[in-house]
Amino acid sequence: MIRHIIQREFFDHLNSLRFALTTLILVALMVTNAVVHLQSHPDKVRRYSENITADQNKLQSATELYELLKEGPGRLYKQPSALTFIADGGDAFLPNRGTTSWGSWSRTAGYSGQVKSVWSLDYPTANLNARDLRPKATKIDWVFIITYLLSFIPLLFTFDALSGEREKGTLRLCLANPISRPALLVGKFLGTLITVLIPFYFAVLLNLSVVSLDSWTQLEAADWGRLGMIMLIASGYASIFIAVGLMVSASTRDSRISLVSLLIIWVALVVFMPSTLGTLATKWMSPVQTAHQREMAKRSALDQINEDFDERMRNKRETRSPAANLLNEIEELWKTAPEEAKKLAKENEEQLRLAMAQLASQKAGPEELRIRAELVNRDVEVRERLNREHLSAQLAQVQRARMVTRFSPAAIVQYALESMTGTGLNRHLQFLDGVDIHIRQFRNFITETDRADTESLHIIGVPDGMSKKPISPQALPRFEDKITFSDTFNAAIVDMLLLVLLLGVFLSGAFLVFIRSDV
Amino acid sequence: MLRTLIRQELLTHLMSARFFVAVVITLLLVVANTVVLIDEHENRVANYSQQEKVHREKAVKAETYSRLELFVERPPNPLSLFSAGLDKRLGTTVEIYHGDVPMISSISARNLGNPYLNLFSQIDLVSIFQVVLSLLALLFAYDAIAGDWESGTLRLVISHPVRRGSILFAKYIAAMICLLLPVLMSLLMVLILCSLASSIQLNGSDFLRIGGIVWTTIVYLSVFYLIGLLISTTTRRTATSLMLCMFLWVGLVLVYPNWSRFAINPVSDMRAERQSASQQIEQIWEEADREEQRFLANSPLDGEPPRFNIGYSGSSSRSGRRHGFNMTKVDADSEPSVPHFQNYQAFIGATHIRLAEKAALIREQRLARTDIRQATWDKRLMKFSPASLYTFATSAWAGTDLDGMLDFSRATQGYRQMLIDYFHDKDAFASRQWFASDQGTVDWWDLPQFRFERADVWENAQRALPDVSLLFLMNLILFILTFLIFIKVEV
Repeated sequence: MIRHIIQREFFDHLNSLRFALTTLILVALMVTNAVVHLQSHPDKVRRYSENITADQNKLQSATELYELLKEGPGRLYKQPSALTFIADGGDAFLPNRGTTSWGSWSRTAGYSGQVKSVWSLDYPTANLNARDLRPKATKIDWVFIITYLLSFIPLLFTFDALSGEREKGTLRLCLANPISRPALLVGKFLGTLITVLIPFYFAVLLNLSVVSLDSWTQLEAADWGRLGMIMLIASGYASIFIAVGLMVSASTRDSRISLVSLLIIWVALVVFMPSTLGTLATKWMSPVQTAHQREMAKRSALDQINEDFDERMRNKRETRSPAANLLNEIEELWKTAPEEAKKLAKENEEQLRLAMAQLASQKAGPEELRIRAELVNRDVEVRERLNREHLSAQLAQVQRARMVTRFSPAAIVQYALESMTGTGLNRHLQFLDGVDIHIRQFRNFITETDRADTESLHIIGVPDGMSKKPISPQALPRFEDKITFSDTFNAAIVDMLLLVLLLGVFLSGAFLVFIRSDV
Repeated sequence: MLRTLIRQELLTHLMSARFFVAVVITLLLVVANTVVLIDEHENRVANYSQQEKVHREKAVKAETYSRLELFVERPPNPLSLFSAGLDKRLGTTVEIYHGDVPMISSISARNLGNPYLNLFSQIDLVSIFQVVLSLLALLFAYDAIAGDWESGTLRLVISHPVRRGSILFAKYIAAMICLLLPVLMSLLMVLILCSLASSIQLNGSDFLRIGGIVWTTIVYLSVFYLIGLLISTTTRRTATSLMLCMFLWVGLVLVYPNWSRFAINPVSDMRAERQSASQQIEQIWEEADREEQRFLANSPLDGEPPRFNIGYSGSSSRSGRRHGFNMTKVDADSEPSVPHFQNYQAFIGATHIRLAEKAALIREQRLARTDIRQATWDKRLMKFSPASLYTFATSAWAGTDLDGMLDFSRATQGYRQMLIDYFHDKDAFASRQWFASDQGTVDWWDLPQFRFERADVWENAQRALPDVSLLFLMNLILFILTFLIFIKVEV
């Protein structure tokens, strides 16, 4: 019996104007998406590989271990996903590389030589759209098509499914037959689902066949697996809105009222909720540090380190030169009473000059190198800690905002699709993890190589304390950014479960409403 | 007769569920968003005044003229509440320096809070009207004629001595009044909420601008009502009319504005343009280097620039082409070369000002040919959709569009000129205080202050006018078409 109902529903819809319009709009958008992808994707891939080779060449030109430490592991680019046409994931708002350099400093260390900074990890800021003068627009990717149209179209197919039949009186006729209400509802549900999904799958097929013309987009087995999951997510999303449509349709007598309420629900849920809730959520979050506050925090932490360093250098100096005591005394005095310090210096000019010359002529011993290295390393440590804290504060804010937007099924689907295709925030977080691991490897490599050299003093951070042996470029750890199926799947699983849950809730809601309603 | 018709239409609309639901949802959305937006605006204002203070302190701290680091901040526009435009997206901080002309592309965004929040699209009040009320307009219109047709009431009405034109007109007026109600109610809500917030101060011209926005909203909604009316007169069945209206709405409001920017890109690759401009600018600065060499050949200064062989204690800083000195004490044996150094600095200052302006012409051209050209093309293409026209017109009213941003960058350019004049007044470039503070630090008490005034209302009105008149034209064409079809049609 259910088969009959499904068949009837399906053929009814097939001849309707809405079916024709649905097919038209879906096909048009999907084909545009594919064509634009064909035009833009090769450029993206080419730029990525250019960037990578430039980076590698620069890294391999380093001949000494210290140079590696000073220049760092390069920029570490994010590999573009082959499936970006499915979910753009706010590509323009996320950095495409993992590291950046903030500049460098050098300072004098006592009277003999300079200390130079080495590379420390800083994250590129994601403000790329701050220079974008174009009017705002969303990319027409599958996410757009699915979240907007696969929710809107089901509503147009279902708003009169029950209320319309009730108005015409056919519902009463139908139920006069030996047919249970749940069976009727399931039949309507499946019939509409098939009608909605047929044009969608057709459009997807067209899209994929155009995309496969592109030699730059090579879809592997894992990608097909992803595509399968994506189709599943899309179908689940459409069924949620069919269930919502049936629920509202079952509870109203007038199909016009049913339509208006559905459209309004749709506007609120799909168009406004994802962004309104996002901004609303940030209202109750503590704001991240401003650039100025951050600068202040960094400066005070670094000043502390530098003071420590000065202190230790002074203590060290005493043991090296008998006249150094005088120097220390003058420096100490300079802080409180510069005039007296000047006087003292003038009185002992000869002795001072001797001491300074003596200090300058002496080569820094391992002890002193160790102090310098400690300054360099602590500087890196402090900077990286502050940078990481700042980034995680920013990301935590976004994560929480995303949590709140999950009230809207459109946002859930968006996040699930982004995670599945390997774009968006989840992917960026995975990429940053990869960057962290690589940097650890890179530093380990430096330590290990240095340890292998018996002539080295094993003081990492200063040129004189490290191995001077040439390094082989092949031995360098390579950064490889890979998108694995399990990573994407794990990132998407929460959202997929949420979707299933929503579907269950709305379907049972539709059942309850329809069973208790009068015919 | 017309009055009776209008009253009857009005009553049916006002009593209908669709009107009630739409009004409730509009008000809910408007209130929720206004609360958030006002809060956001308060944060921006607080951030703005804090930054202002930081910049001011930083500027006054400079001991010598060459160490001056002058930044200005773009004040947040209170009308970004209505139409966000580019106001929140573009950067806010600009460095003012005599050797570089500030452009819209040199505005820095480092004070813009959490950039990752850009992942959520911005909402403003206009976008609520744009989406919800246009939908409501179509819902009023789709069965205006077709519904009467089906129920047979149209025949009944026409059998009375009433002209067809007045039927159409009555329907139009009644629907527009019904559409105006939610707009005015939400405006009232917004104004009440705004008056509770201390950070938003609206002056008289702001109210005129808001008036302009409301007027544009009416014209926009009328376009959608007339589209619905046209479809309703041409199709005889409400079901067909409804489906056409819905798909047209999705197409015009959601799909086309995004689609046109995505699919059509008439501006070809701009990289070549950018590169050639950068090369030209580089040549200009090479010219600067050559001129410097020529000057130094005739100068008794010896040693390497920028400090030559002048012995001093103090500090110096360098970023790009600019050198800042703070010599707290110049060695006695270097004292004779100080006047020459002063001459050199005066020469460098004048050259850099001149060449920066020359480079600015090229940069301006590059900007016009790349970013601005692309933005205007996008706009042009998007204008086929009334929804985009509405966005553009309202952001022009609010002053948050590209023109408003260019106003700001022009203001910063003017401020740079003021700074140069100030330097000239003080003869700063050739003075000892340009690089040395041994004879007292610079007193910045009369440093000119930066003020940015938004364009006045008439300027805004002129900028909004093209888009509003396009909307108006659409109205006219749609009305005439509907009228002609309705007159000829068989009942």
